[in-house]
Amino acid sequence: MEHAMNEEEPESDIIIARNLHKTFPGPVAALVDFSVTVRRGEVLVIVGPSGSGKSTFLRCLNGLEEVESGSIIVDGIPLDDNQRHRLEIRREVGMVFQSFNLFPHLDVLENVSLAQRLVRGKSRAEARGCSLELLARVGLADKAASYPAELSGGQQQRVAIARALAMMPRVMLFDEATSALDPEMIGEVLDVMRQLAEEGMTMVVVTHEMGFAREVSDRVLFMEHGRVIEEGTPGEFFNHPRRQRTREFLRQIL
Amino acid sequence: MIVGRRKAVILDLVLLAGLAGLGGFLLYRITVHLQYSWHWSRIPGYILRYDGEKHRWVANYLLLGLLTTLRLSLWGGLLAVILGLAMALARTGRSLYRQLVARIYVQLMRNLPPLVIIFLFYFFLADQVIPHLELDLHARQAAPAVRRLLTLLVAEPGSISTFLAAVCSLALFEGAYITEILRAGIEAVDRSQWEAAHALGLSRLQALRHIILPQALRQVLPALAGQFISLIKDSSIVSVISIQELTYQGSQLMASTYLTIEVWVTVALMYMLLTFPCSLLVARLEKRLARRLV
Ligand SMILES: Nc1ncnc2c1ncn2[C@@H]1O[C@H](COP(=O)(O)OP(=O)(O)O)[C@@H](O)[C@H]1O
Ligand SMILES: [Mg+2]
Repeated sequence: MEHAMNEEEPESDIIIARNLHKTFPGPVAALVDFSVTVRRGEVLVIVGPSGSGKSTFLRCLNGLEEVESGSIIVDGIPLDDNQRHRLEIRREVGMVFQSFNLFPHLDVLENVSLAQRLVRGKSRAEARGCSLELLARVGLADKAASYPAELSGGQQQRVAIARALAMMPRVMLFDEATSALDPEMIGEVLDVMRQLAEEGMTMVVVTHEMGFAREVSDRVLFMEHGRVIEEGTPGEFFNHPRRQRTREFLRQIL
Repeated sequence: MIVGRRKAVILDLVLLAGLAGLGGFLLYRITVHLQYSWHWSRIPGYILRYDGEKHRWVANYLLLGLLTTLRLSLWGGLLAVILGLAMALARTGRSLYRQLVARIYVQLMRNLPPLVIIFLFYFFLADQVIPHLELDLHARQAAPAVRRLLTLLVAEPGSISTFLAAVCSLALFEGAYITEILRAGIEAVDRSQWEAAHALGLSRLQALRHIILPQALRQVLPALAGQFISLIKDSSIVSVISIQELTYQGSQLMASTYLTIEVWVTVALMYMLLTFPCSLLVARLEKRLARRLV
């Protein structure tokens, strides 16, 4: 694997996205000259109104969507036409979806183990051990034999987090991980995310939970119509927003 | 409720009486006006007969036909599923060329009468391709145990080539329907399942094999079983190319004995023997799936 970019870019930047453009048929400009850099170990929270391009950005980062122009580099690997690079990036980047997307035909243990065996080449026993450890970490050691349909939303989302972590990713992406949950289950998922942040995981988190953004994030980015409107530390962002549009957004949401 | 019940019972009785009357009338017409003389007692002899030389009961025309139909259906079904799976994967895959091949295949098979397909394909296969394999020659030279096994599972040495051509023709035709069933199943699996597999770093093939196909198959199992019933029935088509399956045997027997009604009623019952258990299985599968989805 060539990590050619390491020469030019500082080691501390794990995601470098430059001048991304993405248009959906319509035409809808989902990303417009969108640039952002994420440091190793940083927790970046992205906020913005619905349809502003937050999901699109996350999905471009792991190749679920193609950008039309611009460049993405993840942990020194350029996301280009080289299929090896793309696969490598998908393996290094974990993703947690709003709708959990667990595999309904597999039990919890298999949900967490499958990719370890198929992608990381672990033996069944090895994968099992690792999965049980991860399930204990998200507080679901006793649910290993359950099927997704038998779990609550909060439990399903915690399994989904364990499943992503099982690949030992260097970056975790969270796309509104708590938006589909009943209010009483949001806390248990945010707790797991908070714990992960404390352990030093690099995280890009799209969320409407401003409390989480304020307490856990290192940086907050506000986007609208596919553009970065403002970014800053949570202190700056919430207490002294510079842009008028940011103030309006915060007034609506807080 | 109870009143409704009773009304339904009375209605049922009237209907049953009507049906019984109709049946009786038909019997009357056949017996009196056609002066049809019933010979049901001769039918069992065409199913099993006693072999005086070997001193044991052996299968006769109708049972032999039933067994051939069963073998045709099992091999044809297996081959049709393999073909259908390959075509469904091509149809839902990313290669435009393969999509086109699968689409043309399905369109051709669905827009031609089965009989025409069977004739075309059969004469092509039976004349041009299969004879070169010299299967029957190999079969005749095989060890007795192998020959017996072949006779049991496929066909007697001597008619293996013909049988194979019939199985292939049948599979080609049924494969198109299985393609469509499997395609629908694959497309019914939510896009988000592909995305979750993709995000975990699974290859497209791994995602298909471990995530998409298991869910797709579960969805379409009842439809597949239903198609298998169709296949059993459709296998009667190959009687036109002289495969000695149940329908062919029935028509031969009718021509030589004139026991028209007895023979065809027996043949119908024998088909039921194959298809009815499948129908029960489908019903059970559907019930189980419905319960799981609640
Ligand atoms: N697959 C798609 N096809 C067409 N338009 C899309 C698609 N995905 C997203 N969009 C559009 O792109 C814009 C950004 O969407 P998205 O990134 O999902 O926003 P957010 O996650 O911030 O709510 C929206 O206008 C949305 O309608
Ligand atoms: Mg979104």
